[in-house]
Amino acid sequence: MPHSPAPSLPQRRALVIEDDPDIRGLLAMLLQQRGFAVAEASGGLAGVESAARSEPDLVILDMGLPDIDGLETCRRLRRFTNAYVMVVSAHSQEADLLAGLQEGADDYVAKPFSARELGARIDAVFRRRRMAEPPGPVRDADMDDEQQRAAAVQRGLLPRSAPEVPGYGLAGHCRPTRSVGGDFYDWHLQQDQLTVTLADAMGKGMGAALLAATLRSALRGAHGPSPLRTCAAALDLAGPDLYALDAFATVFHAVLDPGSGTLRYVDAGHGLAWIVDAAGGARRLGSEGLPFGIEAEAAWEEQTERLLPGESLVAVSDGFLDATGGIDAAAVRIRAELAASASAQDAAEALAAVAGDAARDDLTVVVLRRAAA
Amino acid sequence: MRFTTSTRGDLVEIAAAGKLNMASASELRRVVAEAAAPGGARIVVNLAGTEFMDSSGLGALVGCLKTARGAGGDLRIANVQEQVRMVLELTNMDRIFTPYPSVETAYDGV
Repeated sequence: MPHSPAPSLPQRRALVIEDDPDIRGLLAMLLQQRGFAVAEASGGLAGVESAARSEPDLVILDMGLPDIDGLETCRRLRRFTNAYVMVVSAHSQEADLLAGLQEGADDYVAKPFSARELGARIDAVFRRRRMAEPPGPVRDADMDDEQQRAAAVQRGLLPRSAPEVPGYGLAGHCRPTRSVGGDFYDWHLQQDQLTVTLADAMGKGMGAALLAATLRSALRGAHGPSPLRTCAAALDLAGPDLYALDAFATVFHAVLDPGSGTLRYVDAGHGLAWIVDAAGGARRLGSEGLPFGIEAEAAWEEQTERLLPGESLVAVSDGFLDATGGIDAAAVRIRAELAASASAQDAAEALAAVAGDAARDDLTVVVLRRAAA
Repeated sequence: MRFTTSTRGDLVEIAAAGKLNMASASELRRVVAEAAAPGGARIVVNLAGTEFMDSSGLGALVGCLKTARGAGGDLRIANVQEQVRMVLELTNMDRIFTPYPSVETAYDGV
């Protein structure tokens, strides 16, 4: 470990990324007075490197840096750290601030700033954080290890291989932005009926992952040939917990009869499934229901579609919308990738890759392709 | 995210400016719990300044609605911006949170 925390309580760590040495010194002093161990960097690249090493709880980030700018720095920080990122910027124009917040910054202070205001904001953030965290020091090395194990467990809860269904190709891809996330997909072949699920539990990180695991178990436990009955039974199992936690999850759950191509589904507030036809057109499947966890009683309707030879069912999580910029753009992208892909596997991988490395939200894709007649 | 609570006639307006996400969700819950505490409060969350809401933010609104109703009042939303509207429509949660065009009209006809 790069730091030796005090034996009783781990010391909070802060990182100041600012090119002006005077302002950097001032910020460092302000933070030291508040009990932070402070690391400093004069550029974005050095800042990212330092953050990877020192694992700060708080990052103070200047927008106008000499090498990579503050936005890009923030984007890179967000690939690996949950640190509270506070932007300090002379770019007080709203557009810059919004861009910073979109890239994962948590707060901003406009330059010139008052040391008192900045200090008060930092105090407020860490007062809330302390209350939100469980008591007892958690060492970062243990945490890292734990996160890695959690990520491995979550990957292990995804289907390891797709069932062989003659005339169909099935593939899924799930990439959490942090080590774990709230998205998952699942499938099951039983009595010649193929069940496919894609769900997105509220939030990000470990909390979302716990919700996702709960929901996955409930849906598996309730599994049957009727999507409506499965969802209703899963809601009985998981709903009270979701409701009590003010949490919810959106779910797309479908059952395919491979012989006829009949696809029955329940869409619980998910709204992101399409059928792409052989000519390349895409129609979005209707969604009327509320997410899991909103109401105690299930009030969903089962809807029916038909997957014809040459058609594909594509379901994605909302991270796909973030990456493509909206529903219409998402549909265009899905049509293009499906047309360019030789298999369901290729299509799922191409669609999951649209976000690039800068993904802000978990991104999950399932593709079910019916071979042309 | 900044929250500003004010009284408009018999309504309590909570103006939310910034990004409603995991970082600001607990603060919204706290602010609404405070507003709902006297009991029977008719709360309007003014989202005119909320340019972004994610699922954690939506979850916080759901929790706030339960809090307000549990205290014998209610909670509605007004002035939703484009991205927030998209999230509400996509999840069909506009059935739970009707987006009202203004704070003043959020309780009209009720």
